[in-house]
Amino acid sequence: MLNFTVHNCGLTVGSIEILGVSAASMFQIGDSDYVTLYSMFDTPPESVIAGPIAPLPTPEDEEQAAGEAPMAG
Amino acid sequence: MQQNFPIRTSEIALVSIVDVSLSSIVQFGDRGEATPKLKALAVQRAIDHTKAGSVYFESYPIFSRPLPKLVDPEAEAGYDVCIQRVNHCPRIKVGCVYVTAVGSTASFLAGNAMRTTAESRIKHIRQYEKSLIEIR
Repeated sequence: MLNFTVHNCGLTVGSIEILGVSAASMFQIGDSDYVTLYSMFDTPPESVIAGPIAPLPTPEDEEQAAGEAPMAG
Repeated sequence: MQQNFPIRTSEIALVSIVDVSLSSIVQFGDRGEATPKLKALAVQRAIDHTKAGSVYFESYPIFSRPLPKLVDPEAEAGYDVCIQRVNHCPRIKVGCVYVTAVGSTASFLAGNAMRTTAESRIKHIRQYEKSLIEIR
């Protein structure tokens, strides 16, 4: 058993400027017990495809898949 | 004698937020638990949307892969960490807070939280038209 004691003395901050809080990030003024943040971001340079346009792959059970609403026309 | 306040309150003079999007949270006050989740397919293709067909989350393993587990041999061996907090001052004072954007399951919280579990999975697809044979 490891005992860890934190002493929170007075805390005063003048001003905060943030450009962005993104992808499973957190900005908090206060206290937290548990924080778990997961972010998966899949954009490697190889994700750029330059070639003849073919339809995107459909999953095996297409009827049950949660795709976007079919386009009109 | 050291004073110990059970909880601290946050005092902010001014908050300015321009944009909040995609399962993000802006909260003033305390919360118990928050579990924002986001699944996003960002498709940018040089093809008409009516001819491109549908896109499915099921086609890409990023949306179904399990979340990584924290491997902590110390905790598994029974060496727990007991955290004790002593608040000598009952408040956190902040002047002005300017935030341009809060997005993709991010959270802006002025107050206390017990548990936060955010999850964001984003897949980008960018495809540009190019013929296999060079046409002159």
